[in-house]
Amino acid sequence: MFEFFFKYPSTVYSKGKLVLLSGWPEWLLILLTVAAIAALSLVMWRSKPVWNNLRSAILTALQATVVCLLLLMLWQPALSVSALKPQQNIVAVVVDNSSSMKRNDSDGTRLDAARKILDSALLKDLEKRFQVRLYSIDQGLHRIANTDALTGNATVSKLGDGLKQLTAESSGLPVGAVLLLSDGADSAGGIDRQTITDIRSQRIPVHTIGFGKEQLTKDLEIRNVDVPIRALSDARLSAAVRFRNRGYAGQKSRIEIKDGAKTLAAKDVTLAKDGEEQTESLMFSAGLAGARRLAVSLKLMDGEENQSNNSMSRFVVVEGRKPRILYIEGEPRWEFKFIRRGVEDDRSIQLVSMLRVTQNKILRQGASSPKELENGFPLTPEELFQYDGLIIGSVDSGYFSLTQQEMIKQFADRRGGGVLFLGGRASLSDGGYDKTGLIDMLPVALPSAKGTFERELAIPIVTPSGKESMILRLVEDPDKNLERWKTMPKLADYQAVGRAKPGAVVLAEMSTPKGVFPLLAIQNYGRGRVGVFATSGSWRWQMTQPKEDMTHEMFWQQLLRWLSSATQGQVIASTPNPLLSDDGKLPIRVEVREKNYLAVADADVTARILGPQSVAAQIKLAPDPVTPGVYTAQWNAPVAGDYVAEIEATRNGQKVGADSLLFRREDGVTENFYSEQNKELLEKLSEETGGRYWKPDMAGKIPTEITFSEAGITTRETYDLWNMPIFFLMLLALRATEWLLRRKWGAV
Amino acid sequence: MIRRRLAVSALVISFVAAALAQRRSLSVNDYPFDDNAPLVTPPDANEKTEWAFARLQYPSLQSNNRAWMARGHWTIDYPKADRQFASGVRRLTRLHVRSVEQVVNLESDDIFNWPWIYAVESGHWDLPDAQCAKLREYLLRGGFLMTDDFHGTYEWDVMMASMSRVFPDRPVVDIPNNDQIFHVLYDLDDRFQVPGTVNYPFNKTYEYDGYEAEWKGIYDNKGRLMVAICHNMDLGDAWEHADSPYYPEKFTGLAYRIGINYIMYAMSH
Repeated sequence: MFEFFFKYPSTVYSKGKLVLLSGWPEWLLILLTVAAIAALSLVMWRSKPVWNNLRSAILTALQATVVCLLLLMLWQPALSVSALKPQQNIVAVVVDNSSSMKRNDSDGTRLDAARKILDSALLKDLEKRFQVRLYSIDQGLHRIANTDALTGNATVSKLGDGLKQLTAESSGLPVGAVLLLSDGADSAGGIDRQTITDIRSQRIPVHTIGFGKEQLTKDLEIRNVDVPIRALSDARLSAAVRFRNRGYAGQKSRIEIKDGAKTLAAKDVTLAKDGEEQTESLMFSAGLAGARRLAVSLKLMDGEENQSNNSMSRFVVVEGRKPRILYIEGEPRWEFKFIRRGVEDDRSIQLVSMLRVTQNKILRQGASSPKELENGFPLTPEELFQYDGLIIGSVDSGYFSLTQQEMIKQFADRRGGGVLFLGGRASLSDGGYDKTGLIDMLPVALPSAKGTFERELAIPIVTPSGKESMILRLVEDPDKNLERWKTMPKLADYQAVGRAKPGAVVLAEMSTPKGVFPLLAIQNYGRGRVGVFATSGSWRWQMTQPKEDMTHEMFWQQLLRWLSSATQGQVIASTPNPLLSDDGKLPIRVEVREKNYLAVADADVTARILGPQSVAAQIKLAPDPVTPGVYTAQWNAPVAGDYVAEIEATRNGQKVGADSLLFRREDGVTENFYSEQNKELLEKLSEETGGRYWKPDMAGKIPTEITFSEAGITTRETYDLWNMPIFFLMLLALRATEWLLRRKWGAV
Repeated sequence: MIRRRLAVSALVISFVAAALAQRRSLSVNDYPFDDNAPLVTPPDANEKTEWAFARLQYPSLQSNNRAWMARGHWTIDYPKADRQFASGVRRLTRLHVRSVEQVVNLESDDIFNWPWIYAVESGHWDLPDAQCAKLREYLLRGGFLMTDDFHGTYEWDVMMASMSRVFPDRPVVDIPNNDQIFHVLYDLDDRFQVPGTVNYPFNKTYEYDGYEAEWKGIYDNKGRLMVAICHNMDLGDAWEHADSPYYPEKFTGLAYRIGINYIMYAMSH
């Protein structure tokens, strides 16, 4: 239809540039147009018609449009467009050869449909105009002779990598266009911005033909599972499982998380609206130290079109270390006793406490040796930074020297530890902290007043942020958890701490006789974390609930795990994702720090890697040119299986520290997901490179449209527009309209 | 023969009468410890604090027997001992202490707000089953009970008659010298019997057949003391009469140290 009116395909218009071929100056066209409109208006005004002004204006406009159109046609408008020279350019036809293309959507597989289009006419039509090179794409790009080489057996499809390889290899060749036949399923999760930029820089348009159903009728698919990469032993972890269904809205399904044959967590869910993604959280215990490969699955429903996308695995490294937390308490308090008892059974936390029982006597508990803390609160960063967390109870700020106060700040900022301030009669504002430098690190704006601590009962209230927090999760289900908190006993006392600072999160508030105040507020500070628990009365949760009730213990264990579990050692090895899906590329990043946690820029950092099938390697990490103390390397895991990397940092022959990294390579998994055609990815790729997305039944038009490209060897072609049917039709329509109006208004 | 019998009887009666007269005069006229001094309520009596001396009010065995009741019940030494001891705890430690005592009982759930309680003359208590169950619950949640001022075999048996229903499954054991409760603040390896004022002028320190002071306790599953039993001693009197020139300072000093250690232990373990 478009071509009937406008003579040429839309591509000519989108890529072409408007020119006027008459050779007469453009200003003359404008001048004559203005003059014609003015003359027509004058004539109409002088004729003093019997009609009103509106009718005169309409007729004048119709006549003026006719004159303008005629003038424009006299100036011979045309489109100048860049077009590929016949037989001098290469068109790369790239076919997705991954296993997802073997999915049978309706009449045969996606790959069969692609072959059929290519072999029936498309390749021949293209070859009439261009040199055609046929490629298959999976892990990389492969030149193939014909479509018989397409098997659909590849477990990986990396469209981005393949296209990048194509542009690199053809940088000296006249590639006029790329035609990609794919379902859009990409193992890497998409095509990165850099790849698209590279393609654009060569001005090669990528046309795409999408295969596969855009929407399945019956399917349940896990989209993602979000779990922490590292955890402490026995930690309570939350897995956020994101999934969507087609055709099962309102039905029941079941999510399970397994470690081998052992079920760690299970949850019955009601499936949401058709096509709507939903997320459910499951909680489970990390268990003992070691590497966990979690299998997360959704129950298989009757009649699912894709039965391979109901499970997904994740890798969690459960660390055997036991974070040590220093708790300094300035006076005997019930809170002290019950915090100690609350975390006593937590095998993953060592609580070292110092309690000032008298003015001159400190009771130490939980220390590793008689020497530990024998001189009181640490006097040097090296001594304090041995701990992973710090709790400051009812201790007047004046008890700490200025040096110690700065150390406490650096404990969070530089060391990356967690600092928790408790309420009390010598805490926070009542302890003079509002007058110290420590005020910067607090998540609340302390009032500058004494008497903020009151021994009056207070009701804890969980905020919306707290509802989602693992710290306050006493019951797995978030709504039931909220109900549980409403039944928690009142706190014995409270401290007014002012409002939360921007960037802080208030997880719980408390209702008191003097108003509502933050109870538990947290925020990140530097590399660490800081929290304020503005009461010393949570012991009532233990004393006024049945002895079997474990909520007090759970709360304190979860709070102290938050405080200390993210605190790292002097050497920290990391990789963005320890589960390598269909890809062996492993980026390793190591941070090296001294005992006082200043960056070590001159360390020797090596990684010894052991893997399956006797894979062994030793690599040296290079210092990051931008960030001191950071060392990086990239290694390729050659085969699927579990790997361990032992990282060691030395300086002048002395060991600074060590860390280990566990990771796993899995092949042939990601192709099972996103089983619907990823039209969005294909459309975006075409749009951003100057190509176009095509449905398979429109493939016949591709050879013509692909011609208009600015890549390769091109010529400028001119297409006349003055004789477009639309012009003549418009002239006729304008004159006819004028005649009809005059007749209606009685002027004919 | 009859005359002789009459003479012996008269002699015995005279001797007994003389002895009774001697005892009555000692407890009424010559007894130097004034239990009846008028109490003045301290100005900070209503202050809300972290800790208060929580005295357990309990039902007594043979509560209709006036003679037996006179020998001991929950109000013995109350409230002077409580307040005098509290003032010592306030002076000697960093604990925020209320100047006056708090009376608690096992009929109300308010006891759960007071994680340290003191039971005097527990050799006289007679806890109903419901109160035994509540005390058990209290202790297993983390509460701490100190008992004091009961003496000899009979009162021990009375105390155990209730305690064995509180913890039928847990033994009462001697607290070893190296237990933290004797070292948490003061090192109390050398302990001795602290007498009640009834022993004045302290030529003996025991009562009935309670010749030796016993430091006993009941532990929970994690080796923490829940009940500290001070048998054959009277720390309450030592606190109460700490201001008396007649009561020896060495007993008062030890009684304060023991009491403070027990509080500090209860607040840290």
